[in-house]
Amino acid sequence: MNPQSLAYIAAGMAVLTGLAAGIGIPLATGKAAEAIARQPEASGKIQGAFLLGIALAEATAIYGLVVALLLIFQK
Amino acid sequence: MSEPAQALSISERIMEGIKTKTVFTIHAFGSNIDISDTIVSMWIVMAILILASFLLTRRLREIPKKPQLLLEAFIGFINDFVTENAGHHGRDFAAFLGTIFTFLIAANLAPMLTPVGVSIGGFVAEPIFVIKPLTRDINVTAALAITVILSVLLAGIRYKGPFGWLKGLASPIPIMLPFNIMEYAIKPLSLCLRLFGNILGAYIIMLLIEAVMPIAFPPIAGLYFDLFDGLIQAVVFAYLSTIYIAEAIE
Repeated sequence: MNPQSLAYIAAGMAVLTGLAAGIGIPLATGKAAEAIARQPEASGKIQGAFLLGIALAEATAIYGLVVALLLIFQK
Repeated sequence: MSEPAQALSISERIMEGIKTKTVFTIHAFGSNIDISDTIVSMWIVMAILILASFLLTRRLREIPKKPQLLLEAFIGFINDFVTENAGHHGRDFAAFLGTIFTFLIAANLAPMLTPVGVSIGGFVAEPIFVIKPLTRDINVTAALAITVILSVLLAGIRYKGPFGWLKGLASPIPIMLPFNIMEYAIKPLSLCLRLFGNILGAYIIMLLIEAVMPIAFPPIAGLYFDLFDGLIQAVVFAYLSTIYIAEAIE
Protein backbone atom coordinates (compact mmCIF):
# COMPACT_ATOMS: atom_id res chain seq x y z
CA MET A 1 0.00 0.00 0.00
CA ASN A 2 1.59 3.28 -1.04
CA PRO A 3 1.65 6.32 1.29
CA GLN A 4 -0.77 8.29 -0.88
CA SER A 5 -3.62 5.82 -0.43
CA LEU A 6 -2.90 5.66 3.30
CA ALA A 7 -3.19 9.46 3.35
CA TYR A 8 -6.61 9.19 1.68
CA ILE A 9 -7.79 6.71 4.32
CA ALA A 10 -6.48 9.04 7.03
CA ALA A 11 -8.33 11.95 5.42
CA GLY A 12 -11.53 9.94 5.54
CA MET A 13 -10.93 9.19 9.21
CA ALA A 14 -10.22 12.87 9.97
CA VAL A 15 -13.67 13.79 8.70
CA LEU A 16 -15.15 11.59 11.47
CA THR A 17 -14.74 14.71 13.66
CA GLY A 18 -18.01 15.74 12.02
CA LEU A 19 -19.69 13.34 14.46
CA ALA A 20 -18.90 15.69 17.35
CA ALA A 21 -20.45 18.69 15.61
CA GLY A 22 -23.39 16.52 14.56
CA ILE A 23 -24.07 15.64 18.20
CA GLY A 24 -23.28 19.04 19.70
CA ILE A 25 -25.13 21.44 17.40
CA PRO A 26 -28.55 19.68 17.58
CA LEU A 27 -28.27 19.57 21.37
CA ALA A 28 -27.57 23.32 21.46
CA THR A 29 -30.38 24.00 18.97
CA GLY A 30 -32.88 21.99 21.00
CA LYS A 31 -31.96 23.76 24.21
CA ALA A 32 -32.10 27.17 22.52
CA ALA A 33 -35.57 26.41 21.12
CA GLU A 34 -36.67 25.26 24.58
CA ALA A 35 -35.30 28.41 26.21
CA ILE A 36 -36.99 30.69 23.67
CA ALA A 37 -40.29 28.83 24.17
CA ARG A 38 -40.01 29.32 27.91
CA GLN A 39 -38.94 32.98 27.76
CA PRO A 40 -39.72 34.52 24.37
CA GLU A 41 -38.70 38.00 25.59
CA ALA A 42 -35.08 36.86 26.09
CA SER A 43 -34.78 35.52 22.55
CA GLY A 44 -32.16 38.11 21.53
CA LYS A 45 -29.70 37.12 24.22
CA ILE A 46 -30.40 33.42 23.71
CA GLN A 47 -29.71 33.77 20.00
CA GLY A 48 -26.37 35.43 20.72
CA ALA A 49 -25.26 32.69 23.09
CA PHE A 50 -26.58 30.07 20.68
CA LEU A 51 -24.62 31.47 17.73
CA LEU A 52 -21.44 31.58 19.79
CA GLY A 53 -22.01 28.03 20.99
CA ILE A 54 -22.63 26.51 17.57
CA ALA A 55 -19.66 28.41 16.13
CA LEU A 56 -17.41 26.83 18.75
CA ALA A 57 -19.02 23.38 18.44
CA GLU A 58 -18.70 23.50 14.68
CA ALA A 59 -14.99 24.26 14.93
CA THR A 60 -14.19 20.59 15.60
CA ALA A 61 -15.76 19.54 12.32
CA ILE A 62 -13.97 22.33 10.49
CA TYR A 63 -10.61 21.31 11.93
CA GLY A 64 -11.31 17.79 10.72
CA LEU A 65 -12.01 19.13 7.25
CA VAL A 66 -8.83 21.21 7.24
CA VAL A 67 -6.74 18.23 8.37
CA ALA A 68 -8.34 16.09 5.66
CA LEU A 69 -7.54 18.72 3.03
CA LEU A 70 -3.94 18.94 4.26
CA LEU A 71 -3.64 15.15 3.97
CA ILE A 72 -5.13 15.08 0.47
CA PHE A 73 -3.07 17.93 -0.94
CA GLN A 74 0.24 17.08 0.72
CA LYS A 75 3.05 16.67 -1.74
CA MET B 1 -10.29 27.69 -20.55
CA SER B 2 -10.43 26.57 -24.19
CA GLU B 3 -11.58 23.01 -23.54
CA PRO B 4 -15.12 22.42 -22.25
CA ALA B 5 -15.52 21.65 -18.57
CA GLN B 6 -17.01 18.21 -19.26
CA ALA B 7 -13.62 16.91 -20.36
CA LEU B 8 -12.36 17.00 -16.76
CA SER B 9 -13.09 14.28 -14.24
CA ILE B 10 -14.76 15.12 -10.92
CA SER B 11 -11.56 15.19 -8.87
CA GLU B 12 -9.80 17.32 -11.49
CA ARG B 13 -12.68 19.79 -11.46
CA ILE B 14 -12.50 20.03 -7.67
CA MET B 15 -8.74 20.56 -7.78
CA GLU B 16 -9.29 23.19 -10.46
CA GLY B 17 -11.81 24.94 -8.21
CA ILE B 18 -9.65 24.95 -5.10
CA LYS B 19 -6.45 26.22 -6.65
CA THR B 20 -5.94 29.95 -7.07
CA LYS B 21 -4.71 30.96 -10.48
CA THR B 22 -2.31 33.75 -11.28
CA VAL B 23 -4.11 36.17 -13.54
CA PHE B 24 -1.18 38.47 -14.30
CA THR B 25 2.15 39.52 -12.84
CA ILE B 26 3.25 43.01 -11.90
CA HIS B 27 6.93 43.79 -12.35
CA ALA B 28 7.77 46.44 -9.79
CA PHE B 29 10.61 47.31 -7.43
CA GLY B 30 12.81 44.64 -8.98
CA SER B 31 10.51 41.79 -8.05
CA ASN B 32 7.53 40.02 -9.55
CA ILE B 33 4.22 40.31 -7.74
CA ASP B 34 1.74 37.61 -8.72
CA ILE B 35 -1.83 38.84 -8.81
CA SER B 36 -4.11 35.86 -8.20
CA ASP B 37 -7.75 35.61 -9.19
CA THR B 38 -8.69 36.04 -5.52
CA ILE B 39 -7.13 39.50 -5.51
CA VAL B 40 -8.88 40.46 -8.74
CA SER B 41 -12.26 39.36 -7.40
CA MET B 42 -11.46 41.21 -4.18
CA TRP B 43 -10.91 44.37 -6.22
CA ILE B 44 -14.31 43.81 -7.84
CA VAL B 45 -15.98 43.43 -4.44
CA MET B 46 -14.16 46.51 -3.14
CA ALA B 47 -15.26 48.51 -6.19
CA ILE B 48 -18.87 47.46 -5.62
CA LEU B 49 -18.71 48.42 -1.93
CA ILE B 50 -16.99 51.76 -2.56
CA LEU B 51 -19.40 52.65 -5.35
CA ALA B 52 -22.39 51.65 -3.21
CA SER B 53 -21.24 53.67 -0.22
CA PHE B 54 -20.52 56.67 -2.45
CA LEU B 55 -23.89 56.52 -4.21
CA LEU B 56 -25.87 55.84 -1.03
CA THR B 57 -24.38 58.68 1.00
CA ARG B 58 -24.32 61.26 -1.77
CA ARG B 59 -27.61 63.02 -1.18
CA LEU B 60 -28.63 62.50 2.43
CA ARG B 61 -31.83 64.24 3.48
CA GLU B 62 -33.60 65.11 6.69
CA ILE B 63 -36.62 63.15 5.54
CA PRO B 64 -35.14 59.95 4.09
CA LYS B 65 -36.22 58.24 0.93
CA LYS B 66 -36.15 54.52 0.30
CA PRO B 67 -32.40 53.83 -0.25
CA GLN B 68 -31.44 56.06 2.66
CA LEU B 69 -33.99 54.32 4.89
CA LEU B 70 -32.41 50.95 4.09
CA LEU B 71 -28.94 52.36 4.73
CA GLU B 72 -29.99 53.88 8.05
CA ALA B 73 -31.63 50.64 9.12
CA PHE B 74 -28.46 48.71 8.28
CA ILE B 75 -26.12 51.15 10.07
CA GLY B 76 -28.49 51.28 13.04
CA PHE B 77 -28.53 47.48 13.19
CA ILE B 78 -24.73 47.33 13.27
CA ASN B 79 -24.47 50.08 15.92
CA ASP B 80 -27.08 48.41 18.12
CA PHE B 81 -25.45 45.00 17.67
CA VAL B 82 -22.00 46.25 18.66
CA THR B 83 -23.11 48.41 21.61
CA GLU B 84 -25.30 45.59 22.90
CA ASN B 85 -22.45 43.09 22.87
CA ALA B 86 -19.42 45.28 23.62
CA GLY B 87 -20.76 47.92 26.03
CA HIS B 88 -20.63 51.69 25.64
CA HIS B 89 -16.94 51.72 24.62
CA GLY B 90 -17.83 49.26 21.90
CA ARG B 91 -19.40 52.11 19.92
CA ASP B 92 -15.85 53.10 18.83
CA PHE B 93 -15.46 49.77 17.06
CA ALA B 94 -18.82 49.79 15.28
CA ALA B 95 -17.27 51.14 12.07
CA PHE B 96 -14.49 48.55 12.01
CA LEU B 97 -16.75 45.60 12.79
CA GLY B 98 -19.41 46.87 10.42
CA THR B 99 -16.85 47.09 7.64
CA ILE B 100 -15.72 43.51 8.23
CA PHE B 101 -19.34 42.34 8.32
CA THR B 102 -20.29 44.17 5.11
CA PHE B 103 -17.14 42.99 3.33
CA LEU B 104 -17.76 39.37 4.32
CA ILE B 105 -21.38 39.51 3.17
CA ALA B 106 -20.31 41.02 -0.15
CA ALA B 107 -17.42 38.55 -0.52
CA ASN B 108 -19.61 35.53 0.18
CA LEU B 109 -22.44 36.67 -2.07
CA ALA B 110 -20.33 38.03 -4.95
CA PRO B 111 -19.96 34.61 -6.66
CA MET B 112 -23.70 34.70 -7.36
CA LEU B 113 -23.14 37.70 -9.64
CA THR B 114 -20.98 35.94 -12.21
CA PRO B 115 -22.51 34.30 -15.26
CA VAL B 116 -22.09 30.56 -15.80
CA GLY B 117 -20.68 28.86 -18.87
CA VAL B 118 -23.30 27.61 -21.32
CA SER B 119 -22.98 25.16 -24.20
CA ILE B 120 -25.66 25.04 -26.91
CA GLY B 121 -25.24 22.52 -29.70
CA GLY B 122 -21.50 22.20 -29.36
CA PHE B 123 -20.95 25.95 -29.06
CA VAL B 124 -19.39 26.66 -25.68
CA ALA B 125 -19.52 30.14 -24.15
CA GLU B 126 -17.29 30.57 -21.14
CA PRO B 127 -17.37 33.79 -19.08
CA ILE B 128 -14.12 35.76 -19.18
CA PHE B 129 -13.71 35.94 -15.43
CA VAL B 130 -15.48 33.88 -12.77
CA ILE B 131 -15.68 35.21 -9.21
CA LYS B 132 -15.20 32.25 -6.91
CA PRO B 133 -15.94 32.70 -3.19
CA LEU B 134 -13.12 34.96 -1.95
CA THR B 135 -12.92 33.38 1.48
CA ARG B 136 -12.09 29.94 0.04
CA ASP B 137 -8.54 31.36 -0.16
CA ILE B 138 -6.91 31.03 3.25
CA ASN B 139 -4.87 34.21 2.69
CA VAL B 140 -8.01 36.39 2.77
CA THR B 141 -9.35 34.89 6.00
CA ALA B 142 -5.90 34.95 7.60
CA ALA B 143 -5.53 38.64 6.78
CA LEU B 144 -8.95 39.39 8.30
CA ALA B 145 -8.19 37.35 11.42
CA ILE B 146 -4.83 39.09 11.91
CA THR B 147 -6.53 42.49 11.55
CA VAL B 148 -9.06 41.51 14.20
CA ILE B 149 -6.49 40.19 16.68
CA LEU B 150 -4.29 43.28 16.23
CA SER B 151 -7.25 45.52 16.99
CA VAL B 152 -8.08 43.35 20.02
CA LEU B 153 -4.51 43.77 21.26
CA LEU B 154 -4.39 47.53 20.63
CA ALA B 155 -7.87 48.07 22.06
CA GLY B 156 -6.89 46.23 25.23
CA ILE B 157 -3.80 48.40 25.68
CA ARG B 158 -5.68 51.58 24.77
CA TYR B 159 -8.66 51.13 27.10
CA LYS B 160 -7.00 49.43 30.07
CA GLY B 161 -3.63 51.21 29.88
CA PRO B 162 -0.38 49.26 29.43
CA PHE B 163 -0.21 48.20 33.07
CA GLY B 164 -3.86 47.29 33.27
CA TRP B 165 -3.40 45.17 30.16
CA LEU B 166 -0.36 43.41 31.64
CA LYS B 167 -2.31 42.79 34.82
CA GLY B 168 -5.17 41.42 32.75
CA LEU B 169 -2.79 38.88 31.23
CA ALA B 170 -2.20 37.34 34.66
CA SER B 171 -5.85 37.23 35.69
CA PRO B 172 -7.64 35.61 37.40
CA ILE B 173 -4.55 33.84 38.84
CA PRO B 174 -0.92 34.22 37.69
CA ILE B 175 -0.74 30.55 36.60
CA MET B 176 -3.14 31.43 33.75
CA LEU B 177 -0.46 33.64 32.12
CA PRO B 178 0.72 31.18 29.44
CA PHE B 179 -2.86 30.33 28.50
CA ASN B 180 -3.80 34.00 28.22
CA ILE B 181 -0.80 34.61 25.96
CA MET B 182 -1.66 31.52 23.91
CA GLU B 183 -5.14 32.94 23.32
CA TYR B 184 -3.61 35.61 21.09
CA ALA B 185 -2.47 32.84 18.73
CA ILE B 186 -5.47 30.53 19.06
CA LYS B 187 -8.17 33.15 18.52
CA PRO B 188 -7.01 34.32 15.07
CA LEU B 189 -6.21 30.72 14.07
CA SER B 190 -9.70 29.51 14.85
CA LEU B 191 -11.34 32.61 13.31
CA CYS B 192 -9.32 32.12 10.14
CA LEU B 193 -9.81 28.36 9.84
CA ARG B 194 -13.52 28.46 10.66
CA LEU B 195 -14.37 30.87 7.86
CA PHE B 196 -11.95 29.23 5.40
CA GLY B 197 -13.09 25.69 6.16
CA ASN B 198 -16.79 26.49 6.02
CA ILE B 199 -16.68 28.33 2.71
CA LEU B 200 -14.24 25.89 1.09
CA GLY B 201 -16.30 22.93 2.31
CA ALA B 202 -19.52 24.40 0.94
CA TYR B 203 -17.75 25.21 -2.33
CA ILE B 204 -16.43 21.64 -2.72
CA ILE B 205 -19.87 20.21 -1.97
CA MET B 206 -21.43 22.49 -4.59
CA LEU B 207 -18.81 21.36 -7.15
CA LEU B 208 -19.62 17.73 -6.31
CA ILE B 209 -23.36 18.32 -6.65
CA GLU B 210 -22.87 20.09 -9.97
CA ALA B 211 -20.70 17.24 -11.24
CA VAL B 212 -23.06 14.45 -10.14
CA MET B 213 -26.41 16.09 -10.94
CA PRO B 214 -26.09 19.15 -13.15
CA ILE B 215 -29.83 19.71 -13.67
CA ALA B 216 -32.46 21.06 -11.25
CA PHE B 217 -30.79 20.23 -7.93
CA PRO B 218 -27.83 22.70 -7.77
CA PRO B 219 -29.97 25.88 -7.43
CA ILE B 220 -31.83 24.42 -4.44
CA ALA B 221 -28.65 23.19 -2.75
CA GLY B 222 -27.00 26.50 -3.63
CA LEU B 223 -29.59 28.34 -1.55
CA TYR B 224 -28.23 26.58 1.52
CA PHE B 225 -24.55 26.15 0.69
CA ASP B 226 -23.88 29.46 -1.07
CA LEU B 227 -26.43 31.89 0.37
CA PHE B 228 -27.29 30.71 3.87
CA ASP B 229 -23.87 29.35 4.83
CA GLY B 230 -22.09 32.46 3.55
CA LEU B 231 -24.42 34.78 5.49
CA ILE B 232 -24.21 32.72 8.69
CA GLN B 233 -20.43 32.62 8.54
CA ALA B 234 -20.26 36.40 8.00
CA VAL B 235 -22.47 36.87 11.08
CA VAL B 236 -20.43 34.39 13.14
CA PHE B 237 -17.13 36.05 12.18
CA ALA B 238 -18.41 39.53 13.06
CA TYR B 239 -20.01 38.24 16.25
CA LEU B 240 -16.87 36.50 17.47
CA SER B 241 -14.76 39.58 16.65
CA THR B 242 -17.20 41.69 18.69
CA ILE B 243 -16.97 39.28 21.61
CA TYR B 244 -13.16 39.29 21.51
CA ILE B 245 -13.01 43.09 21.43
CA ALA B 246 -15.59 43.29 24.24
CA GLU B 247 -13.45 40.96 26.34
CA ALA B 248 -10.38 43.12 25.68
CA ILE B 249 -11.91 46.49 26.62
CA GLU B 250 -14.00 45.46 29.59
